[in-house]
Amino acid sequence: MSARGTPFILDRVLLTLACAGVAAVALGGFVNHAANRLADGVALPLWRAPPGDQALIAGALAAMVAASCLSREKPRALAAIGAAFALFFGCLVASAHFADRLAEGAKPAARTSLGAAFWILIALAALCALNAAQRGRLPFALRVAIGAGFAAGFAALAQAGVFAQLALAREFAVHRAEFMVQLWRHMALVGASVAIALAISIPLTVLALHRAHWRGLLFATLGVVQTIPSIALFGVLIAPLAALAGRFPLLGAWGVGGTGAAPAIIALTLYSLGPLVRIFVTGFNEVSADVKDAARGIGFDGRRLFFAVEFPLALPALISGLRVVAIQAIGLATVAALIGAGGLGVFVFQGIGQYALDLVLLGAIPIILMALAADLVFSAGLSAARGKR
Amino acid sequence: MIELDGVAKFFGPTVAVENVSLNVAAGDFCVLLGPSGCGKSTVLRMVNAMIAPDRGRIVIGGVDIATLDPIKLRRGVGYCIQSVGLFPHWTVERNIAAVPRLLGWSRPRIAARMAEVVAAMQIDKALLPRYPRELSGGQQQRIGVARALAADPDIILMDEPFAALDPISRAALQDEMRRLHEVSGKTFLFVTHDINEALRLATRIVVMNKGRVAQAGTPADILMRPVDEFVRGFLGRDELPLRLLDLVEIRDRIAPLSHRPSTTAIGGNATLRAALNMMLDHHVSRLAVADETGRIVGEIGLADIVAGGAPQ
Ligand SMILES: Nc1ncnc2c1ncn2[C@@H]1O[C@H](COP(=O)(O)OP(=O)(O)O)[C@@H](O)[C@H]1O
Ligand SMILES: [Mg+2]
Repeated sequence: MSARGTPFILDRVLLTLACAGVAAVALGGFVNHAANRLADGVALPLWRAPPGDQALIAGALAAMVAASCLSREKPRALAAIGAAFALFFGCLVASAHFADRLAEGAKPAARTSLGAAFWILIALAALCALNAAQRGRLPFALRVAIGAGFAAGFAALAQAGVFAQLALAREFAVHRAEFMVQLWRHMALVGASVAIALAISIPLTVLALHRAHWRGLLFATLGVVQTIPSIALFGVLIAPLAALAGRFPLLGAWGVGGTGAAPAIIALTLYSLGPLVRIFVTGFNEVSADVKDAARGIGFDGRRLFFAVEFPLALPALISGLRVVAIQAIGLATVAALIGAGGLGVFVFQGIGQYALDLVLLGAIPIILMALAADLVFSAGLSAARGKR
Repeated sequence: MIELDGVAKFFGPTVAVENVSLNVAAGDFCVLLGPSGCGKSTVLRMVNAMIAPDRGRIVIGGVDIATLDPIKLRRGVGYCIQSVGLFPHWTVERNIAAVPRLLGWSRPRIAARMAEVVAAMQIDKALLPRYPRELSGGQQQRIGVARALAADPDIILMDEPFAALDPISRAALQDEMRRLHEVSGKTFLFVTHDINEALRLATRIVVMNKGRVAQAGTPADILMRPVDEFVRGFLGRDELPLRLLDLVEIRDRIAPLSHRPSTTAIGGNATLRAALNMMLDHHVSRLAVADETGRIVGEIGLADIVAGGAPQ
């Protein structure tokens, strides 16, 4: 070993990811094949997959290692993203072909679902792309374009029916109509609760900022809500809302009741309120006192001070507050399915009930993607709000 | 121009300002001088109507400011503070133009005035599209002063504007303020705790202690006749006589030419400190004194410097 170590490897993260990929392929099953939806399957490693697909994945991992040797940051980042692309689509195509081959001559009830090695390789591809985007300081528009490239490629393959024999796709095919309904419902629950929380948080923020002695009580109350487990909070709301709907039939006619969307939106709103108010108050308090003093001293009136100085300076904090609660609500809305509010949680809990893991994934994967998309959108807003200051 | 009449301000149990009366004439460079916590900033903020006095009256240009709209008053007065407080989300140019924009000036009028202010404060034009974060402390305060001057106010209030700067930036900005005062004839009310800064800038000094005026007068008055131990101590008891040398010109102490005149000459408008310096430098105890044309008109000896006597 020379004293200079390994001079050719310039991005150790890439090398580590590639090694992890090799280990995953060597040790884990790439797909699981089972006689039917409920039976335990057998794990089949990648080297039982069609040889062309194996070569594709091996090539992608090799490209990752090769990319780590490039000396300039930008080309290395682009090469790493190319490798991530190859790995991602290599895994998708390989698993689909594998499933097609296993389906030949098997009973129609037989299922091929995705194995540990598949998921690890997909995660490695994602990490590889994220790492490259960070280290290469790729501009925001390019990051969005890359994300769109992954999404478009996936959509094209799905449209072409490539995945037809995979268990996840078969669950989707069976639940297609309901999937779209619940997807929208999930977004509606999140959107409604975040919007209501935003509307309520504005007066509460004003109260906390201008009446210091109310702030402690307000934060304490909102803090207590945060500590209640979500299922308990959903449950606690059932009785009073049911009673309310009983007393006032008109409310019941509007859809307010012990179960359904009303308690879910109320609970999600309560969860969003705490972080939102706290971050908003911090954001306004962190606007420099010197800047406010100077602004007042040269003749800004209260309204202009707020709109021209305090609000724009607090805006990044306001956006990060919304980001936190939106992502939190996307996750928590899953639980809303338990009280009949619908949303993607329906598939998760059905799947758990039926011990059908692929049905769980049909709910869980879109939830994760939705959270990532929300993160991306709010990051864009944040960098726009920060500007060049 | 600015009159305070029996002004007092209390913050709960704290007496910030107590029975302060003073009169700043138009064109004065008035420096409020005193230790930290003596109420200087409170006085300045009351003049800018940011705090209402609990007792007494403040009159600007013959009008009691309690009868004015405070927002209008502040837009008509220049205001500049130690921490600068530039708007971090605006370019330097937009920062400077803040008050003219508040006043609703037309674009061409703002542009014309901006050019004047940028030239007067010797601001590098390349800084105009930049953001405050990218500027040094000295550059930021230069912009802060420019912002205070932008709407061409008659009165400029400054609260320890240069206290946080390095000595070189501070000296440069002090020179700028002197020049500005001389050419513009504006009225300055300037707060500092730094005696050297006060002597360098002031035409009038108001020494404050514990919320009260300890002494007010010209720099020479105060240096020569400190009213009490506090003022004497604050001016620097040991260096007081030496500081005085800065304020007196040689022509005020000139003596008739003796029969054996010195061969070393100095201008009559130089200060006594310069004369003493030259004596030490040339190892002599007498200097010939020349007028503006270079003609020898008299002489000055060590005894004349030491003798003392009021400057004019
Ligand atoms: N907003 C305020 N609330 C309470 N006390 C204050 C406030 N502003 C000033 N003070 C007090 O008033 C006194 C004078 O303060 P200040 O005018 O800032 O002094 P200086 O500018 O001379 O250092 C100090 O004791 C200070 O603590
Ligand atoms: Mg002060």
